Amino acid sequence: MNKINHDQLLSLEHPFIKIPVEKFRSSLKTEQKHIEKEIAHLTNTVSEISKKSQHGIMDANQVQTALEAIVSRLSTLKRRLTETRAEESLYSQRTKVRLQHLQEFTAIPTLDSDEFGRWSRVRLNRILIDYMLREGFRETASYLAKSENMEDLVDIELFVQSAKIEQALNKYSCSECLQWCNENKSSLKKIKSTLEFSLREQEFIELARERRSQDAIAYAKKHLTPWQETHMKELSQVMALLAFPPDTKCQPYKRLYDKSRWRNIISQFRSNNFALQFFTPEPLLNVTLQAGLSALKTPMCYLPEHRNINCPVCDPHTLGLLATDLPLSHHFNSSIVCRISGQIMNEDNLPMALPNGYVYSYNALAQMASLNGGKITCPRTGAVFDIAQVKKVFIS
Amino acid sequence: MEAFVKDYDKVIKKQRMLETNDPLDRLINIVNEAKDKIRADPSSVSASLTALGKTIKTVSSGISEEHKELQSALSKYSKAIDKRFTGDMIAAINPHAFDNKENILRNTIAMHFIRQGNFEIGDTFAKEAGLKLPESMRHKFMEMFEIVEALKVNSLEPALEWSTRHRRELEKRSSILEFKLHRQRYLQLLEASRKEDAIAYAKQNFGYFGTRHTQEIMRLMGCLLFFDRIKSSPYADLIAPNANADIQHMFTRDFCSLIGLSCESPLYISVTVGTQAMPTIIKMSSIMKAKKTEWSQQSELPVEINLTDDTKFHSIFACPVSKEQATDENPPMMMVCGHVICKESLVKLSRSVPNGRLKCPYCPTESMSSQAKNVYF
Repeated sequence: MNKINHDQLLSLEHPFIKIPVEKFRSSLKTEQKHIEKEIAHLTNTVSEISKKSQHGIMDANQVQTALEAIVSRLSTLKRRLTETRAEESLYSQRTKVRLQHLQEFTAIPTLDSDEFGRWSRVRLNRILIDYMLREGFRETASYLAKSENMEDLVDIELFVQSAKIEQALNKYSCSECLQWCNENKSSLKKIKSTLEFSLREQEFIELARERRSQDAIAYAKKHLTPWQETHMKELSQVMALLAFPPDTKCQPYKRLYDKSRWRNIISQFRSNNFALQFFTPEPLLNVTLQAGLSALKTPMCYLPEHRNINCPVCDPHTLGLLATDLPLSHHFNSSIVCRISGQIMNEDNLPMALPNGYVYSYNALAQMASLNGGKITCPRTGAVFDIAQVKKVFIS
Repeated sequence: MEAFVKDYDKVIKKQRMLETNDPLDRLINIVNEAKDKIRADPSSVSASLTALGKTIKTVSSGISEEHKELQSALSKYSKAIDKRFTGDMIAAINPHAFDNKENILRNTIAMHFIRQGNFEIGDTFAKEAGLKLPESMRHKFMEMFEIVEALKVNSLEPALEWSTRHRRELEKRSSILEFKLHRQRYLQLLEASRKEDAIAYAKQNFGYFGTRHTQEIMRLMGCLLFFDRIKSSPYADLIAPNANADIQHMFTRDFCSLIGLSCESPLYISVTVGTQAMPTIIKMSSIMKAKKTEWSQQSELPVEINLTDDTKFHSIFACPVSKEQATDENPPMMMVCGHVICKESLVKLSRSVPNGRLKCPYCPTESMSSQAKNVYF
C-alpha cells in the first residue's frame, strides 16, 4: 500500500519537463535562423567582392575594408545573439535540474518515508507557484521560489511577457497582444487559434463605438478581409455595427459592444499562450486539489458528530466548502479508523466493541484502561465500562 | 528516468561543443585570415578571395550540420518525453468546480504558509491577493514555532511552560504531552550524567503523574540502577534516538488540536492525496469521456481510490456480503460471533433459513438475527 508507483506519478510531470525543453528548442531555432541568414549573406557578399576585384572595380585596399565590414557585421550579430544564447543555457540547465529532481523521486521507496514528504513539499510549492503566476501574484511566487531555492523548478519569467499583454488588454489595448500573435504566427496556426481575428474584430468595434465610420471601414478592409474565407458570418455581423449606435438594445449588436468581450479576449489569449508553452490550461493546484478532495470526501465530512479535525474536507469554512460540488469517494473495502487515536484498526490493532456497540481500537482502549485503573469511558456517550467487558469485532 | 538523463547528456555535450566552438567566431576568423593575407600580399587578392569563398562553404556546411545534429537530438528527446509522460490532467478537471470560491482557496493557501511557519511568504501572499488574515492565528502559530525551535535544540522549558499552562485542556483530550516532556527532561539529565539533579527533578515533578503513569515512572526510576550504562541495560529503550523528533511531533499535534486545527496542513494533505489519485482519475475519466459522461458531474466516484493509512480520516464500512457502504438506514450489525455485516444482508440471510437461526457467512457460528446488534465505528 505504501509503495510508490513511480511510473504513474511521473506521468503527471509532462509540463514540468516539457516546458524548458521547448523553450530551449525555440531559442536554438531562432539562433540557427539568424546564422543561416548570415551565412547566405556572407557567401553573397564574398562572391560579389570577388567579382568586383576581378573586374578591377575594387582594389586590394577596398577589398580589405569590405572584409572588415563583414567582420564587424558578424560581431554585431554575435552580440545580438547573446540574449538568445543566455536563454539556451538557462533552459538547458533547467532541463537538467528538473531531470535530476525527478530522478531523486524515483529513488524514494515508500509513501511514508521522510524523503517522500520532503519531495512532496517541494512539489506542493511548485504547484502553488504555478497557481500564483497564473493569478498574477508574481511577487509571492518569486519570493517563495527564491527562499526555497527552487528557481529552476518553476517558470517565473515566462509570465512576465504574458502579464504585460494582459495588463494592456485590461486597459483596452490590443497592440501588444497583436504583436505577440505576429511573433507566434506559425504556432498559433497549428493550434487553429482565432485570437488574432478576435483582436482585429475588437479594434474594429472600438472604432465603431467612437463612430469613426471611415476609419472603421478602412481598418476592416485592411485587417478583417483576410479572414473572409473562414469568418464571413462574423465579418458581416461586425460590419453591421456601423449602422447601430453603441447604446443599441438590439442583439447581437448590443453584445458586440459589450465591454465584457475584453474579458473573453483575455481568457482566449491565456489559453492560447498556455497551449503554446505546454502549460496545462487550468492551474495544477485546481487539478490536484479536486482529485484529492474527491478522494477524501465522505458523507461523514458534513455531519458535525463525525467531524475529524485532521480531515481537510471536514473544515466547513475552507476546503469543505471548496469540495461541495465534487463527487464523493467510493469504497468497496472497509477501513475502520479509531475515534480515540485516529489509528487504523487491523490485525495489529484490533477493533473492540464496548457493550454499547461503540467500536474503538484495542491499543487506545488498553492505554486508557492503564491510565484509569482498568476503566474505560466511551468518548461519544460518556458511558463507563470495565476493560474486561470489551469484545473483539471481526471485519472482513 | 536514467535513459532520459543519458539522452539529455548527449544533447548537452553537443550544445557545449557549439558553445566552445562558436560558429560566428569561426566565420570571423576565416574572414580575418583572408584579410590578413591580402594585407601581407596584395597581389593574392583574387586567389585569397576564391579560397575564402571555398572555406566559407565548407565551414558553413559544417556549422549547419552541427546545428542539425543538436536539434535532432533535442527533438528526439522531446518526443521521448511525450511518450513517457502521458498524464492528460485536463481530462480530470471540472473547470467550474471552484467558481466564485477564489477567496476560499486563497485563504487556504495563505493559512498554509502561516501553518508552515513561513510567515513572511504568507504575509506577502495575503497582501498581493488582498486578503485579511486573522491576527490571532498568526500569533498562535508564532508561539508554536518558537517552542518547536526550542525543542529542536533540546530546550524543553518553553514547551513545559506551555503544557503546564494548558494542563486542564490537554488532560481533557487525554494528552500525555506534559508527562512526556518531564520524562524527557529527566532522561536528558541522566544522559548528561547529572544523577543527583535527575533524582531531584523526579521528586519535584513526577508526583503529580503518580496515579496515571505509575508503570512508566517505575521504569524511569528503575533505570537509575544502570545509571552509567543505560544503553546496554534492560532500560535501553528509554533512550530512543528519535525521541526529540517524536516529542516535536507530539507537541505540534497537541498544540494544533487545542486550537482546533489539524496537525498537518490540510492543503498539503489534499494536494498530496490528489497527485496520488490523479493516475486513477485520469484513467477513469478517459473511459467515462468515451461514454460521454463527466466524472466531476457524478455524485460519487465510480472507482475506489486507495488512501494511505495516514490519510484515512473516517471509518468506512463496506458490507462484505453486499459490498455496499453502510448508511444510517443500513447500519453495520455485529453477530454473536463478532463478525459484522450490514442490516439488509442480515435480513436477507435470515429469511432463507426456516428456524431463524442463521449461520455466519464467515465462521461456523449459528445465531438468531435478533441477537445481532448495532455497532458504531
